[in-house]
Amino acid sequence: MTSQGLELVARDVSVQFEGLKALSDVTLAVPRGRITGLIGPNGAGKTTLINVLTGFQPVGTGTVELEGNAIGGIAPHKLRRMGVARTFQSGRLFRDLPVIDNLEVTGVGLGQSRRDAITEARQVLAWLGISPLAATIAGALPYTDERRVAIGRAIMCTPRYLLLDEPAAGMSEHESHDLAVIIKRIAGELGVGVLLIEHNIGLVLELCERIFVLDSGEIIEVGAPDQIRRSDAVRHAYMGTQRDEIIPALAEQAAAS
Amino acid sequence: MSRPPSVIRQTIVTPIILIVVLLAMAALSYQFGSRAFNRTAIEMFINIMVVVGLYAFVGNSGLLSFGHISFMCLGAYMTAWLTIPPVMKSITLKGLPAWLLHTQLPMWVATPISGVFAALFALIVGRIIMRLSGIAASIATFGLLGVVNNVYSNWDSVTGGQGSIVGIPPTMNVWIGWLGAAVAIVTAYLYSISRSGLALRAARDEEVAARASGVDIVRERLVAFVVSAFIIGLAGAFYAHFLSIVNPGSFYLRTTFITLSMLVVGGMYSLSGAVAGVVAISVLIELFRDLEKGVSVGGLTVGLPNGAQEIAIGIITIVILIYLPSGLTRNREFSWRNWPLQRRRLVPPVQTALKETN
Ligand SMILES: Nc1ncnc2c1ncn2[C@@H]1O[C@H](COP(=O)(O)OP(=O)(O)OP(=O)(O)O)[C@@H](O)[C@H]1O
Ligand SMILES: [Mg+2]
Repeated sequence: MTSQGLELVARDVSVQFEGLKALSDVTLAVPRGRITGLIGPNGAGKTTLINVLTGFQPVGTGTVELEGNAIGGIAPHKLRRMGVARTFQSGRLFRDLPVIDNLEVTGVGLGQSRRDAITEARQVLAWLGISPLAATIAGALPYTDERRVAIGRAIMCTPRYLLLDEPAAGMSEHESHDLAVIIKRIAGELGVGVLLIEHNIGLVLELCERIFVLDSGEIIEVGAPDQIRRSDAVRHAYMGTQRDEIIPALAEQAAAS
Repeated sequence: MSRPPSVIRQTIVTPIILIVVLLAMAALSYQFGSRAFNRTAIEMFINIMVVVGLYAFVGNSGLLSFGHISFMCLGAYMTAWLTIPPVMKSITLKGLPAWLLHTQLPMWVATPISGVFAALFALIVGRIIMRLSGIAASIATFGLLGVVNNVYSNWDSVTGGQGSIVGIPPTMNVWIGWLGAAVAIVTAYLYSISRSGLALRAARDEEVAARASGVDIVRERLVAFVVSAFIIGLAGAFYAHFLSIVNPGSFYLRTTFITLSMLVVGGMYSLSGAVAGVVAISVLIELFRDLEKGVSVGGLTVGLPNGAQEIAIGIITIVILIYLPSGLTRNREFSWRNWPLQRRRLVPPVQTALKETN
């Protein structure tokens, strides 16, 4: 599914918010057809990096490239039309519209007629196994369904890249397992390059071929799951944060491997 | 997989209900109403056109506009220029270009031209205004109202300045009023079920997510702006034929305020709301008009002071905003299923601490 050079890349990107360095010289590549992980403690700059890759956040220095072409300064809606899709940490569904229309909006935004967009939306809902939700008003959905609808909305018309911002937040063990299956199918069956941001380290270690670790705006480690498990830098980054429950998880994973 | 039923088939009942109910009102007014009552009915139909036009933009985009009455002004004056007999024009409107001075078109030709003229104007100014968001966009539309009003009040040789231009053929009647309202309703309906309408409503709910879904918000807003200007331009043309005179004062703050109140009272996110709001406020205005004229009680005429009408509408709008923030129709459309206003089983969204703002 993948071939060399087909990737979405942030190269030496820095972003600054009034004195606060949110990203410093970050380089990250998302290859087509694979799942790449991005982890890091709260406030590390993960969402900011997604905003950079999807055109919502202009970069201070550095470049963003889509399969070899510079895409800095291109508006978000145009980037989506070029195949870069995303979800939001906070869901951001169109609350007043039914689920089917939430997906339909993407089809329409990408140039389909309403009829074609509805047909495609139905197929995507079926593919995700959530067809029964079609007529529900999105604002009335429980949290975990909201996440799945958001993914459905993002994969309408099969994007080339999909950036998922904490899709498993608030999900039970069982639900995140179902999500893992879906993410694998998105990369495997659809050939989409997935970037997965998650605080559920177990899920990231299970799914991703390559993992980037961000801390205070800097990439402190890159590597395969095994390497991340053993990394002292990663363990150190999570120490003393609200997320230090992750450390035993890392240790457990390391012991198991 | 079977084709889903088309969007039109699912939603067509709303405009049908609205148009049929208005037809019944027109027929009743024609049959039983006095001359004065019929004039009130025509005024109501024209207001429906304006407010439905306003809905096409405000309802779908969620941006409040204070500038729409300037499109009515543009439409009305264009109709005046096109329909007043050349003999009269050459005395009062000397500044008109020769070809316009010597033209006289029938109403059914002049009206669409007036609508298109307003739409073209919206296309030009909208390219700038639609780049703004939220309150900035609303204030810019207010500026537009001021600019247009000033130009039409002071360009004496073309608009007759502050005074009125007379001589527009008084060809309005309830049936034409009803037809205009029907055209407005159908146009606004077709826009809201269009791709652009759907995309704009999504952007109204969640602007950031709409952009991430490929929606070009500036473009869709511009489309809505132009469509609504077209409808309101038609309304202006009808208004000119209705009064047979035009003056810039008719297209300023008072009309802006009343039409916005009508939209808010009815429910600004629904077409049914736009129509219901006009009907409700029109009834009220008629009531207060009588009260302002005075009711005789035992040989004594007791009347409300002039302006009581506006005060009452203002108060009612505030009360509605407090108790029914989504208007009389609660932003829903009339249809067979939820008529009359059946309660929707809307489960309240699940609140969790996990919903952050980024
Ligand atoms: N628009 C903004 N203006 C100012 N500061 C911002 C802005 N957006 C993010 N920040 C700051 O930049 C830093 C990185 O934020 P970001 O949201 O990217 O972190 P994150 O890794 O996604 O965190 P979390 O895991 O909590 O979602 C934080 O300190 C945040 O407060
Ligand atoms: Mg984040």
